[in-house]
Amino acid sequence: MTEHADHDHEHHLPPKSSVKRWLVTTNHKDIGVLYIITSLFFLVAGGILAMMIRAQLWTPGGTLLGGQGYNQAVTSHGLLMVFWFISPFAFGLANYLVPLQIGADDLAFPRLNAMSYWVYLFSGLLFLTSFFLGSSLAGGWTIYQPLNVPAFIPEVNQVGSLATIFALMLFVAAVTMGSVNFLTTFYRMRAEGLRVRDMPLFSVSILLTVWMMLFAFAALLAAVILLSFDHLLGSVWFSTAEGGSLLWAHLFWFFGHPEVYIVFFPALGVMAEVFQTFSGKRIVGRKWFVIAMALVAIQSFVVWMHHMFLTAINLPIKTIFMATTIGISLPFDLMVFALIYTLAKGKIRFKTPFLFSFGALLLFILGGITGVFLGAVVLDYQFRGTYWVVAHFHYVMFGGGTALIGGLYYWYPKMTGKMYDEFLGKVHFAMFFVGFNLLYFPMFVVWETPRRVFDYAAEFTMWHRLATVGAFLFAASFLVMIYNMFKSLHSGEEAPDNPWEYASAGEWAVPSPPPLENYPGVPSYAGGKLSFLTRSEAADGGTVVEQEVAGTEQTAPDGGAIAHAGAAATTPTTDYAEELALEDEHADHASIWPFAISASAFVTFLGLSGISKAYFIWPFVFATGFMVAYFGIEGGRREGFGWIHPVVMALGGAIAAGGAYLLAIDKGGLGAAIDGASVYFWLTTVGAFMGAATLTQLGFEEFNVPEPAIAEQWPFEAVSNVKLGMWMFLGSDVILFGAFIGSYIFMRVGHGWTDWHHDFIPEAHVVLPGLINTYLLLASSFAVVLALVAARQQNRRRLLGYLITTFLLGVGFLINKAVEWEHLFHLHEGAFADGWTFTTNIASSSFYITTGLHGAHVAVGLLITLYLIVRAYNGAYLGEEEADTIEHFGLYWHFVDIVWLFLFPLFYIL
Amino acid sequence: MASTRLYTVIFVTLMAFSTAQALFEFTGILDRAYWFALGVIMVLSTIKATLVAGYFQHLVHEPRSITYLIAGALVGVLALTAGAAYSIL
Repeated sequence: MTEHADHDHEHHLPPKSSVKRWLVTTNHKDIGVLYIITSLFFLVAGGILAMMIRAQLWTPGGTLLGGQGYNQAVTSHGLLMVFWFISPFAFGLANYLVPLQIGADDLAFPRLNAMSYWVYLFSGLLFLTSFFLGSSLAGGWTIYQPLNVPAFIPEVNQVGSLATIFALMLFVAAVTMGSVNFLTTFYRMRAEGLRVRDMPLFSVSILLTVWMMLFAFAALLAAVILLSFDHLLGSVWFSTAEGGSLLWAHLFWFFGHPEVYIVFFPALGVMAEVFQTFSGKRIVGRKWFVIAMALVAIQSFVVWMHHMFLTAINLPIKTIFMATTIGISLPFDLMVFALIYTLAKGKIRFKTPFLFSFGALLLFILGGITGVFLGAVVLDYQFRGTYWVVAHFHYVMFGGGTALIGGLYYWYPKMTGKMYDEFLGKVHFAMFFVGFNLLYFPMFVVWETPRRVFDYAAEFTMWHRLATVGAFLFAASFLVMIYNMFKSLHSGEEAPDNPWEYASAGEWAVPSPPPLENYPGVPSYAGGKLSFLTRSEAADGGTVVEQEVAGTEQTAPDGGAIAHAGAAATTPTTDYAEELALEDEHADHASIWPFAISASAFVTFLGLSGISKAYFIWPFVFATGFMVAYFGIEGGRREGFGWIHPVVMALGGAIAAGGAYLLAIDKGGLGAAIDGASVYFWLTTVGAFMGAATLTQLGFEEFNVPEPAIAEQWPFEAVSNVKLGMWMFLGSDVILFGAFIGSYIFMRVGHGWTDWHHDFIPEAHVVLPGLINTYLLLASSFAVVLALVAARQQNRRRLLGYLITTFLLGVGFLINKAVEWEHLFHLHEGAFADGWTFTTNIASSSFYITTGLHGAHVAVGLLITLYLIVRAYNGAYLGEEEADTIEHFGLYWHFVDIVWLFLFPLFYIL
Repeated sequence: MASTRLYTVIFVTLMAFSTAQALFEFTGILDRAYWFALGVIMVLSTIKATLVAGYFQHLVHEPRSITYLIAGALVGVLALTAGAAYSIL
């Protein structure tokens, strides 16, 4: 314990008994624990809502909750359980275990990992806050439209509803950060000799899950961003009668169906691991099991319309999606049979983790079979909107949750160093399994009960009462689990490194709980088994590489030969020893800024939930001015003052002052502007200022994360972690902007492609402003390329010059856009006598929102450019490696350019 | 990294293609042959985007796996757009 504490101290981390430790930690194991505890908190929140629902259903037309209260309870229960409980619970386990299983000392970006957690936590807090802002969202967890646009939400409930939507948006941001981080870690930080296909099955399942998350959640982000603008600015994406409702369904379910597997895959990984351990058998058909999972991950993106069989989509597409849906069940059949056959061949030990995993398999089989009914068009016509659907997806989703709880028991000894109480674990399982089936099976029996409605036929009452009794038994089982966890933490037996016979994944080769650095050396699988390599001086003055193979020790002279025994020796021995020495450097593991930035986001979005359209932009203008000025202050203070710093400070001051001037003009004086500002305006402003300050601090913070010198990195060997992370992020952004553009194309096809221009767009909307902006953006991209060349040539003057040119061209782009918008807003022609604004029609909404979000990307890019300018002034980024930062920024800036290359013809020419 | 001369040639090409796209509107071709013009304009945008990605973002010099990553995202979003648009035809 003392040794651990010393290690922690070396990494600038307070002890675990200190609250501060948990606020500043960026260590993957700490964050895994935080995820698990937080997700269980949201399980309790969602569970209480479920109890209220079941209490209301004790009698048909129950009155415990009012109508709006019941709708809120149903909606919030669904959202909390799907988003804030199940996946984060799985990712708590993944955070803790994936680096241990693949031989990494942490995730690729520890601070980003912390940020991901804190944004997740604050998004959940924003969700819960929405209950105190009039009403949380009440239109169902699928947020169908137009039911959830302002026109169909009572005035008093609109702030809370928008807060819920923002909570979802923040959650997706957290998920995207996590996906990028995990993918980079999987592909860049696997131990030597560990191929992707050979990773433990839990890690394989998480890898496929994060791929799906990266793409699927981007579509959800696009949907909630568009919805938030319908609320904030009155755009008509989802309220227009011409396909708004269908557009939402397409975007939501393009995300929503992969989400089912995003939730379930980690559970599948847990089942595979637990079955292997407690049957003593390697999973049958391992290769095909992995291929089947990969197939499902790909197929999951081509089944989404089976959720839309009762909408106006045409019959041929329904038939196609029925076929793809039936098709996706086939790989699942293979996986289920592999799991069953593994048990049949093995000698089973009925420990608690196994019971939960086996229970999960049974529940999933029932959930899966009943889901195939819904994939058939004709049956779906009958079952859609009934309790059949409710029962089916609870069997699937909480079937997955069941395995994850098994996973918690399985890895509890590893995480805590204590054994849980086996008897209490079995009591938990018995109550859980009986409660679960008592709760959900009656729903199949009385499937004609209408979903989301608290009235039902009187003859169903007995079955619903059974379900309610089951629900309370089910809930009570968790009290047993929580008691068990707490009791065992304080008085449980000490857990050995590996308490489970036949458990073989990497995490079991280290102490329980593992030390901060995870491994006693550099992990390697090159010899076919996990071993740990360390470099030290030999008695004769030479170099030796010590190789410790799980449980035994060998020492070999000068390393390479034995370390590579049985594998292709691709690295010369001397280099290998040198690289090994580099591994002594460890990441700095403490930063408060991820927490602080996330708190800022909470305050900002809380404010935005109630801000008026007239004040929406101003907090960000002022905060931008502040942030720019702060760049100058911090840059000069930390790296030495020069002429650039007062210039940047003055620029920041000018932005803020200019904003105040324009606001005063708009509102008839500064006093009137202040008088007219609501508390939400001030909240947004405070949050935006906090965000500006904390992001700047993060940017200037020293935080070195050395990349592993010896690692398996197929198929991304030749790129750095940061560059790969950037490309992963851009992959997600391709879906985000693609979804915006796809939404525009969908709505235009729906209206009639060639009629669109004539019916919706004023004559004054011409090509020239778009062409000028194309020139400006292309020129700025070229300037960034030249900046990179200058940085690599170590030419500071040119680097500064090209960065400043990029900045000025980008500013020109935004000014040109502002002038164009101002002109269009105030048109007085023909059908657009009141101007062409956000609210005029779907063409104006799509034009302003899509190009506006692109403009926001430009604005963010300009802030980064200013930051780079301030640092480049003092000599940063010069040299081959140092210039990488400019290249990474360039990847983002050129992407913004590419997006515009499609927006220009679509919104200005065609 | 490619040479500054190559970057300059690409930049000039991008500017020229952008001007050509606008000319379809300015010369009235768009009104006379809308679908032909739409096809050419979108092909030009695709070539421009490929040039920026290939050379300004250095995709041609990166491992192919990065191209596949971005291509995968593109295929996904094209599937969404095409599937959704077809569903209402």
